[in-house]
Amino acid sequence: MFKNKKSFFQRIAIFLAILGPGIITGSVDNDAGGITTYSVAGAVYGYNLIWTLIPSFIVLVVIQEMNARMGIVTGKGLADLIRENAGVKITFFIFVGLLIADIGNTTTEFAGVAGSMEVFGVSKYISVPIIGVLIWFLVVKGTYKIAERIFLLFSISLLMYVVSALMGKPHWSEIGHSIIHPQLEVNTQSLAMIIGIIGTTIAPWMQFYMQSSVIEKGLDMKQYKYSLIDIVVGCIATVVVAFFIIVACASTLHENGIQINEAKDAALALKPLAGELASQVFAFGLFIASIFSATILPLATAFYVCEAFGFEAGIDKKWDEAREFYILYTGILILSAAIILLPNAPLILISLWSQVINGLLLPIVLICMILLVNNKKIMGEYVNKPINNIIGWSAIIVLIGLSLTLLVLPLFS
Amino acid sequence: MFVFLLLYKKKEVHVTTITTFYLSRVVGIKAYDSNGKYIGVVKDLLVESDSSNFTSGHPAVTGIKIKRNKQLAFYSFQQFQVEKNNGKIKIIASQLTNLSEEHINNDLSLIESVLDRQIIDLNGRKLVRVNDVRLVSLANGTFAVAVDIGIEGLLRRIGIAKPIKFGLSVIGSNIPSKFILWEDLEAIDFSNLNIKLSKTYKKLQTLHPSDLADIIEDLGRKASAEVFSALDEEQAADVLEELEVETQIHIIKSLPIEKAADVLDKMPADEVADIFDALGDEKVELLLNEMEKDTSQEVRELLDYQGHEVGSIMSTEVMSFDENATIEEVLSILRAQKPETESLYNLFVTNEKDVLIATFSLRDLVVSESEIKISQIMKPSPVRLHDDQEIDEIAEFISKYNMLAIPVVDQNEVLQGMVVIDDVIDDLMNKRRMNK
Repeated sequence: MFKNKKSFFQRIAIFLAILGPGIITGSVDNDAGGITTYSVAGAVYGYNLIWTLIPSFIVLVVIQEMNARMGIVTGKGLADLIRENAGVKITFFIFVGLLIADIGNTTTEFAGVAGSMEVFGVSKYISVPIIGVLIWFLVVKGTYKIAERIFLLFSISLLMYVVSALMGKPHWSEIGHSIIHPQLEVNTQSLAMIIGIIGTTIAPWMQFYMQSSVIEKGLDMKQYKYSLIDIVVGCIATVVVAFFIIVACASTLHENGIQINEAKDAALALKPLAGELASQVFAFGLFIASIFSATILPLATAFYVCEAFGFEAGIDKKWDEAREFYILYTGILILSAAIILLPNAPLILISLWSQVINGLLLPIVLICMILLVNNKKIMGEYVNKPINNIIGWSAIIVLIGLSLTLLVLPLFS
Repeated sequence: MFVFLLLYKKKEVHVTTITTFYLSRVVGIKAYDSNGKYIGVVKDLLVESDSSNFTSGHPAVTGIKIKRNKQLAFYSFQQFQVEKNNGKIKIIASQLTNLSEEHINNDLSLIESVLDRQIIDLNGRKLVRVNDVRLVSLANGTFAVAVDIGIEGLLRRIGIAKPIKFGLSVIGSNIPSKFILWEDLEAIDFSNLNIKLSKTYKKLQTLHPSDLADIIEDLGRKASAEVFSALDEEQAADVLEELEVETQIHIIKSLPIEKAADVLDKMPADEVADIFDALGDEKVELLLNEMEKDTSQEVRELLDYQGHEVGSIMSTEVMSFDENATIEEVLSILRAQKPETESLYNLFVTNEKDVLIATFSLRDLVVSESEIKISQIMKPSPVRLHDDQEIDEIAEFISKYNMLAIPVVDQNEVLQGMVVIDDVIDDLMNKRRMNK
C-alpha cells in the first residue's frame, strides 16, 4: 500500500534535495580569489601549472568526503568537534586565524565585485556599497535559501569560462604535453603560485561549510552514496572551471607576454585578444562568483566562530538572542567592503596575506580533521579507511613541506 | 551565584577554610601527599551524576583521575584537600584510596562530559557551551556549584584573562562573566556509556516540549537520540510531535521498534501518518504491526490519502454525539474521556450511520441547562470539508468562517475527522519554508 506513493518527480526532488552541499561548496570554491589565482597562474606560467589541479582534485574529494562522513555520523559541526576534542587553545588559534583570513577573503570577493563591474563601466563606489547592503538584507531578512538557489543556478555561468577559453583558440596538444611534462623553474614565485592554487582550491573555511550543509540536509548513512556523487560532481566542476580559466589566460595573455595582477586585468586584457564578448563573459563570471562567495563567506565565518565559542548563532534567531553572531556577520561585511572603498587600498597585499594565513591554517585544520575522523569514540565503525589516511596525511605533509620550503627558500637564494 | 556563595559562607561560619576554584586551574597541576611527595598530574574530577543523591543541592566531587608515569589511576576524593595560597591552587592527599568501580562507571567526568561540551541551560531553555566549572571546597566535601559560560571563562582558559582584566580595569570596565548554577543545568554529552541515562535527565521534565524539541534539534546525532530515549512516553510523544521531519526520522530510526511504537501510540494519528510518509516503507510496516490495533488502523487509513488531500492532515480524534443526548450526558462523557484540548475545538452530532448532521460548540454546551437536549443547541447543515478536497482550500474556509476546527466527511457525508487550525498553520509554514 505504500508503493508508488512517491511519484517520479518526488524522487527526483529527493535526489536534488540530497545533492547540493558538494556542488555549492564546489561553486563557492571558484570565488574571486580563485579566479584571480588561476588567471595569474595562466598568464605567468602558461599551461605549466595545470597539472596541480590533478592532485588538488584528489585531495579535495578525500577531504570533503571526510567532512560529509563526519557530518552524517555525528550530526555535529566541525567547529563543535574541534572545540570538544582539541580544547580551547587550538580552537582559539584556528578561529582567530579563520576570522582574519575570511575578512581578507571577503575583501577579495568585494574586489571581484568592484573589478568586474568596472569592466562594464560601473564605479566601485557605486557597485560595492549597493552589493554590500543587498547581501546584508538578503541574509538577515531570511531569504538566504532562495538566494543560495539563484546563485547556484547562476554559477552555471561559471561554465562561460569554457566559452572564454575556446575563443582564445588554445593549443590542445601543448596543454596535454604540459600536464605530463611541465616546464617549471623551482623558485619562490613558482612555489608561492603552487601553494596559492592549492590553497584557493582547498580553503580551510570550506571544510566547516561543507560539514554544516551536510548536517542541515539531515542525511543518514544510507544516503551516503548520493552524498559522495554530489561531492565528486562538485569537485569536478571546481577543477573544470579552474582548468578553463588557466587555459583562457594561458592561450592569450601568456602567449602575448601580458602580465596581470588581478582577475579584472585578465578580463580587460582578453578584449583585444579574444574579443569583447570573451572579455565580458569573463567579467560576468567573476561578478557572480564574487557575490556568491561574499554572501556565504561572512555568514559562514560568523556561524563557525559562534559555534566554537558557544554563542547562539543562525539567521533564524533574533538580534537579541544572537547578538554576537549578528555583530560578527555585519562587522565582517562592513569591514571588507570598507577596505575596498579606501583609495589606494593594498589589495594585492591583503589577498596575499589572507592566502598565507589560509596556507598556515589548512594543515592544522586537516590534522584536526584526520584525528577526529579516526577517533572511534566519535565515528564508531565509520572511521577512516587506510586509503583515506594515506592520501590525507600525504596531503598534509606535502602542504607543510611546501609552506616550509617557501619560508626557507629566500634564505638560500 | 554570588548570593549562593554568601549563603554558604554564612551557613558554614565554623569552617575555617572555604576554597572556591575553577576546574581549569586544577587540571594539569601536580598533586602531592601530605609529606610533600609527588603523586602525579591531575587529569580529571568525577562528580555525582544522580541529583537525588545530592546532599547539598550540588554534586559532590567523588573521584580524581591522576596520571603518573603514563599510568592513569582513579582515587577517591575524600582524602584530598584543595588549598589556595596567594591565588595558587594546591591539591594535597592525606591518603590514596582507589575509587570503586561503581563510581568510575556511574559518575560524571567533568573534563569528558562537561568542560567544552554543550549543556542544557534549563532557565534559558537552550544549549550553551561550558568554558569552565566552578567548584567550592568545604569541610564536608568539595562540590561543583556552577558552570562558567561567559567570555571571562574563555579568556581564562586561553590564559589571558588576568592581563585583559587588568587592562580593562584601568579604563573602569570589566569582562562580562556568566554562570549557570548546577541545579539549572543538565549535562548531555556523555562519553561514559555506563551512566544510567534516565536518572540523569530527570531535570528535563520541567521543560516545555517545544523547547525540548528545539534543544534536541541542535544536538548531535548520538546525544539527540540518547536524550530522547530517556524521556517518558507521554513527554516523548509531545516532543516528537514538535520536531522537524529530519529529526523525527532520525529519532524513530534510532529507537528500538517496540519503544518507537509505544511513543507513536501516544501521538495523534495524523501526526504519525505525517512521520510515516517520510519514513522508509519497511520500517513503517514494522512499526504499524508493533503499534496498538486501533491506532495503527487509523494511521493506515490516513496513509491512504494523497499528500495534497484534506484527509492526510485531518485529526481523527473527534467527539460526536447523538442529537437526543442531554447536555448533562454529553458533559459526563467528556469528563470520563478527558479528551485533548484540540478535540474540543468543535463538537459534532451524527446519526446512527455516522453521517454528520450538525455541530455545537463547547461554549454552547457549558452555558446551557443540563437537561436540555443537544438538538436544541446544535447548528444544523454545518460547514464541512470532504476528505479528498485539496489542502490549499482549507485556509480559505478557516478564515471565512472563523473556525478553529472544520469537520471532514467522505462522499457519503460520514464523519471522518476534523482539520484543526494548528495543522493548517503547520502546513502553510512548511510551504513558506520550502519557498525560502
